[in-house]
Amino acid sequence: MDSNSNLASPSKRMHARRHLITSVLIATMLVPLLQEDSAGSGRAGASPAADQGTVTEPLVIVVNRSNPVNDLAFDELRRIFLGNRSHWPNGRRITLVMREPGEPERRTVLHEVCGMNEDQFKNHFVHGLFTGEILVSPKILSSPVGVRKFVFNVPGAIGYLRVGDVDDSVKVVRIDELLPDDKGYKLHTQVQLAN
Amino acid sequence: MSGKIKVEADRPSQYPMPLVDRWLSAASRHNAVLLLFVVCCGVTVIGAMVIRDMQLADTEAQKMYESSVDGLQKIGELQYDAQETRRTTLYALTTSDSNLQVQYADQTRDADRRVRNGIGEYGRQAKGSEELALADRLNRDWTAYLHVRDEVLASILEGSTSEAVNLDLAGGVPAFERVRQDLNEVKRLYGEDASREQASLAESSRRSSSRIVGILSFTFLLSAAAIWAIQRSQMLGRMQLAKLQMEFVASVSHELRTPLAVIRSAADNIADGLVKNKDTLFRYGAVLQHQSRNMGELVDQILLFASTEDRKKRVLLRPIAVEQIIETVISDTETLIRDSGFTLEVEIEPDLPRVLGDLHGIAQCLRNLVGNATKYGGADRRVVLRACTFFPKDKSPREIRISVTDRGIGIDSSEVVRIFEPFYRSPRVHASQIHGTGLGLALAKRIAESMGGSLTVLSQLSAGSTFTLHLQIAQGEDIQVVAGEGRHSRMSMT
Repeated sequence: MDSNSNLASPSKRMHARRHLITSVLIATMLVPLLQEDSAGSGRAGASPAADQGTVTEPLVIVVNRSNPVNDLAFDELRRIFLGNRSHWPNGRRITLVMREPGEPERRTVLHEVCGMNEDQFKNHFVHGLFTGEILVSPKILSSPVGVRKFVFNVPGAIGYLRVGDVDDSVKVVRIDELLPDDKGYKLHTQVQLAN
Repeated sequence: MSGKIKVEADRPSQYPMPLVDRWLSAASRHNAVLLLFVVCCGVTVIGAMVIRDMQLADTEAQKMYESSVDGLQKIGELQYDAQETRRTTLYALTTSDSNLQVQYADQTRDADRRVRNGIGEYGRQAKGSEELALADRLNRDWTAYLHVRDEVLASILEGSTSEAVNLDLAGGVPAFERVRQDLNEVKRLYGEDASREQASLAESSRRSSSRIVGILSFTFLLSAAAIWAIQRSQMLGRMQLAKLQMEFVASVSHELRTPLAVIRSAADNIADGLVKNKDTLFRYGAVLQHQSRNMGELVDQILLFASTEDRKKRVLLRPIAVEQIIETVISDTETLIRDSGFTLEVEIEPDLPRVLGDLHGIAQCLRNLVGNATKYGGADRRVVLRACTFFPKDKSPREIRISVTDRGIGIDSSEVVRIFEPFYRSPRVHASQIHGTGLGLALAKRIAESMGGSLTVLSQLSAGSTFTLHLQIAQGEDIQVVAGEGRHSRMSMT
C-alpha cells in the first residue's frame, strides 16, 4: 500500500500540483473579469422595471444575409451564445458578436438566453476557452452600428440589436418561429427614454 | 450691228472695248470707292474666317488639355482607390480591436465603391472594342479580387489572422496583381489616345496655319489687284479725258481757224484797197458778219458747256407753251436750215399742255439737235420736229416729248451711249470730215437733265436717228427751282 501509496504519491502530488496551478491561473484570469463584472452585476441586479422613464423594446437576433439559417430554436440560440455550437449548417464558423458589458441588450441576452449573469457568462467562456470546448471568444463591439457592420462583413457572425437599429444589411432570424412583433416573443430589453 | 435700237442715255455702253477696260472705265466713271468697298468686304470676311479658325484651334487645344488633365486625374484616382481598398483591408490585420477592424472594413468598402464607379465610368466612356474589352476585363478582375477581399476581411474580423494572411497570399495578391495590370493597360491605352489627339491637334494647327497663310496671301493679292484696278481705271480715265481734250482743242482750233482765215482774208483785201466797188464791199461785209456769228456761236457753246459743269447750279423753271418753244426753235434755226438746204417739218399735237422748263435751255437743246440733224442728215435733207403727249403704261406721270428726226447716216449701236460723253466724236464722223466739237449732245443732255427731263435716242445705221427730249408737264402756275442734278424743289406761286 505504502509502496503503492509511495508509488502513487508522486503522481498524486503531481496531479495536485497541476490542479493548484490550474486553479491559480483561473483565479488570476478571473480577478479582472470579476472586478469588471462587479459594476455590471450591480446594474444587472437593479430591476429595470423599477426605473422610471424606461420602455420595453424587442431585441432581435441578426445574422449575415448570406447565412441560410432563418429560424432558430431558443435552445439552439442558447447553445450558440454559450459557444457550445461552433459552426453553421453551411460549414461557416459561428462568430458571436456581443455588446460591451453593462449594456442593457447584453444584460437581456445573458439573462434571457444564457440564463446567466455577467460573471457566470465570463466564467463559462474562460473555462470553455481554457479547456478547448469553446474555440472563439465573443467579439465585443461598442455600438449597435458596429454590431451591424460586423455582422454584415462576417458571413458566420451572429449578434443582437434593438429593433430600431436593424436595417437591410443584416438578416433577422426567427426565434422559435417568432418574429419580434409576434405574440410570445421572448427577447425584450429595457431602454432608457431620452429626455 | 445696224439693227434698230432704242437706248436710254444712262444705259451701259455697247461699244467694242476689251472687257477689263470696259469694267475699269465703268469703275472710274462711278467711283473707286466701290472697289475699296469690295476690298473692305473681302478683308472683313477673311478676317472673320481667320478669327473663326483660330477660335476652333483654341477650342480643340482646350478640349484636349481638359481631356488629358481630367483623364490622368481619373486614372490616378482609380489606381489610388484600388490601392486604398487593399491597404485598408490589410490595416485591419494590424489590430485585434473589433471596433477598429469594423472601421477599416468600412473604409475598404468605401474605396471599393469608388473603384467600381470609376470602372463603370471608364466602361461608359470606352471607345472602340479594345477599350470595351479592357473595361470588361477590369470589372471582372476587380470583382474577383473583391471576392477574395471579402473572405480575408471576414477572417480578420473573426480573429483568424493566419487564415486571413494565407487567403490573401493565395488569392488576394494574384487577383490584385491582375487588377494592377489592367489599370496599367488602361493607362497605356489612355496614353496612346492622348498621343493620337496630340497628333490630331498638331495636324489641325498645321492646317490652320496653312489656311491663315492662304487667306492672308489671298487678301494681299485681292488688295493689290484692287489698287492696281483703281490706279489703272484712274489712269485710263485721265488718258481718255486728255485724248478727248486734245481732240476738242484740235476741233475748236479747226472751227476757229476757218472763219478766222476768211475774216483775215476779207480784212486784208479791204485794207489793201482791193475792194473797190460798193457791191463787193457789201458782200465782204456779209461774209465777215456770217463768220463772226459762227465764231460767236461756237464760243457761246463752249462757255455754256463750261457753265453746265457745275451740276449744283440751280435752274429756274416755269411753265412754257410748247408752241412757243417750237416757234423759238424754228426762228433760231431758220437760217441754218435754209443755208444747209434742208427742210424742217413741224408736227405738233393740238392742245398740248404746257411744259415745265427754261425756254432758253430748251431752245438751246433743240437747236443743237436740229444742227446735228443738218450735219448728219444725209441726202434726204429733211428734218422733222415733232411734239406730242406721252401716256405711260405704268403709274409714272405724263410727259411731253419733243423729237428731232433725220434720215441720215444713223449711229452704230456700239456708239449710242458714248455720243453723250463730252468731247466724244465718232471715228466715222472724223473720217467723213464732218466738223464739230463733240459738245453738242453732251450739252443737250445736261440741259435736259437740269430741267428734270431726259434725252433719249433711237437710231438705225444708214437709216437715220430720232433724238427725243422728255419734259415734265407743268402743274398750274408753278415755278420750280431745280438743282442741276435733276432733283427739284417745288415752289408755288399764286
